[in-house]
Amino acid sequence: MFRGRAQAMGAVAATALVAATPALSAPRPPGLKPAVDSVEAGLWDLMDKAEREARQKAELNTDAALNAYVRDVICKVATEYCGDVRLYVMDRPFFNATMAPNGYSEVWSGLLLRCEDESELALVLSHEVTHFSENHSIEAHEADKRRRNATMVVAMGIAVVGTVAAAGSANPQSAQSIMDATSSLIDVVYLASISSYFRFSREHETEADIVGLRRMAAAGYSPQAGGTLWRGLIAETTTSDFKRVREQDTRLGIFDSHPLSPLRAEALDAEAAKLPAPTRVAANRHRAAIRPFLAAWLKDDLRRRDFGQTLHTIDRLSKAKEDLGVLNFYRGEALRQRGKAGDLANAALAYQAATEQADAPPAAWRELGEARRRTGDAAGAKAALATYLSRAPEADDAWMVRETLDALSKGD
Amino acid sequence: MRILRPLLAAAAVLALAACETIPKAPAGPYKAGASQVTLGRDWSDVSVLLAGGLKKVKVLSIDGPILNRLYITDGLAVGESLVKSPSKERPTPKLRAGMNSSERMEFVADSIAAMGYQRVETMKPRPAKFGEQQAVRFDITARTEDGLDVQGTALASEAAGKTAFVLFLAPAEHYFQASLPEVEKVMASARPAG
Repeated sequence: MFRGRAQAMGAVAATALVAATPALSAPRPPGLKPAVDSVEAGLWDLMDKAEREARQKAELNTDAALNAYVRDVICKVATEYCGDVRLYVMDRPFFNATMAPNGYSEVWSGLLLRCEDESELALVLSHEVTHFSENHSIEAHEADKRRRNATMVVAMGIAVVGTVAAAGSANPQSAQSIMDATSSLIDVVYLASISSYFRFSREHETEADIVGLRRMAAAGYSPQAGGTLWRGLIAETTTSDFKRVREQDTRLGIFDSHPLSPLRAEALDAEAAKLPAPTRVAANRHRAAIRPFLAAWLKDDLRRRDFGQTLHTIDRLSKAKEDLGVLNFYRGEALRQRGKAGDLANAALAYQAATEQADAPPAAWRELGEARRRTGDAAGAKAALATYLSRAPEADDAWMVRETLDALSKGD
Repeated sequence: MRILRPLLAAAAVLALAACETIPKAPAGPYKAGASQVTLGRDWSDVSVLLAGGLKKVKVLSIDGPILNRLYITDGLAVGESLVKSPSKERPTPKLRAGMNSSERMEFVADSIAAMGYQRVETMKPRPAKFGEQQAVRFDITARTEDGLDVQGTALASEAAGKTAFVLFLAPAEHYFQASLPEVEKVMASARPAG
C-alpha cells in the first residue's frame, strides 16, 4: 500500500518538475545588453569575471593568424552576432568549445586538431552560436531556479504528509517505516530534479545541433560536415586505451548533459539531407591555419596518455597526405611512449617515415637512432644519430647523443 | 538525504585533511626512503598535501607549495610514478624499462604537466652526479594554470633499475632564485638509494 502511495507522490513530484521546464524563447537581437537589474545581468557579471580570468590563463593562444581564422569562421556563420562574440583559442588537448551568454567564447586546441576542414569547425561554432542566439544559458538558469523551487515545495509536501502519516501510525515500527519511506521519496524527488536539469541540457544540445547545422549550411558550408565530424569522434572514442571511454557512447545516463554521439550524427545526417549543397570550398584553409601548432598540440595530446586516441587522431590528420614529417614523428612518439609489444619496432618505422619528409623535425633522427639501437641495429642507429647531430649541431642534448654514439662505437 | 551523505562524508574528510599536521624537515640529513639529501635550512614536509600517498615521493617547501616545492624520491621502479593518478582514465607518467636520460627528462616534464602546470619544457641537460652515480641535470620552465611563470631544475639518476629524482619548482619571479643556492646544496648532497 505504501508503495502505491509513494508512486502517486512520485508522479506528483515528476509533474511539478516537468512544469518547471520553460518553453524556448525567440532568438536574441544582435547587440543586446541586459538590463542592469535583470537575472541575465547577474550571469553576465559572472561570465565577465570568467572572461577576465581566461585572458590570464597559461593556455591562452594569442597567435594573431590562428585567432583571425577562427574568428573569421564564426563571423561567417553568425554575421549578425560577429560584434557580440569575443573568441579565445585555448591550447587544451580536448574536443571542446563554449559560448557564454555575454559572448565570451572558447575554442580548444583539441577541437581544432580534430576538425578535418573548415566546414567541421563551422559546424561546431554554429552550434555554440545557437546556444548564444537561443539564450540557452539564461533559459537553463531560469528553469533551474524554477525547478529548485518546485523541488523544495514537493519535498516539503512529502515531508509533511509523511510526518502526519507517521504520527497516526499504530506503533513505533510503522512510524519508523513511514519516515524511512518518506526520506527515500524525498531523495527520489531530488534525483528527479537533477535528472530533469540534464534532460533540459540535452534538449538544448539537440536544438543547437540542428539550428547550428542550418546556420552553417546557410553560410555556404557543407551540411554533411556534421555527420562526418561526429562519426570521426565516435571512431576515435572506440580506439581509446580506456574501457570507460570506449563505452561512453553506448548508453545514455540520466545525468548526461549531451545526447549520445551516434544519435547526434544520425540527426545531423537526416537534417543535412534537407539542406542546400555547399557553395564554399573549405579544403586546406583549416590545415594551413593549424599547421604551425600541430607539433605542440600533438605533444599536449600525448600528455593525456590515451595513446590509442592520439594515434587515431594522427591517422585522421594523415589522410590529407600533408605534414607527414611531423605526423609520423608523433606517431613514433606515441608508440614509443605506449611501449606495448611491437610498439618499438613500429615506432622505428614511423620515425623512418618521418625522416623521408621535408618537414621532419631533427628529433626524428635522434629517436630513429635510439629505436634502432634498442632493436639491435647498431649501424642504423649510428647513421641516424650522426644525421641528427649534423642537422642540429647546436642542440642542447648533443652531448647525450655523442655519448650514445661513442658507446655504439665501442660496442656497448 | 541519503544522496548527500557521501558528499558530507567527503567534505568531512577534506576538513580533517585541512587539519593535517605539516611536519618540519629540519636542517640536516633528510631521507626519502633510501635516498638522502642534506638540508641547509629548515623546510616543511608537505608530502601529505602533494605526494598523493605515494610512499617513495617526498615534497618539501619553505614558503608554501605554490611558492616553492622540492620533490625528493626514493628509487622509483619500472611502473612507478612521481605523481599519483587521479583516475584510471587520467594516468600519470610511469617509469618504463630501459629509459635513457632524454626519456627521464620527458618523464619529469610530463609529470609536472600532470601536476597541473602548463607549457612545461625542459632545457639545458648537462652531466651531473647523484652521489657517485652518473646523472642528468636539467632546467625547466612552465606556467601555472593562471599564467604565473615558473622555473625549475631537476636531477635524475638511474641505477640497478631504480630511478631517483630531485626536482625543484618555484615562481620565476623572486622565489626560484631566492631558494636556488639552497637547492644547489641539496642536489650536491643527494645520495641515491643503494
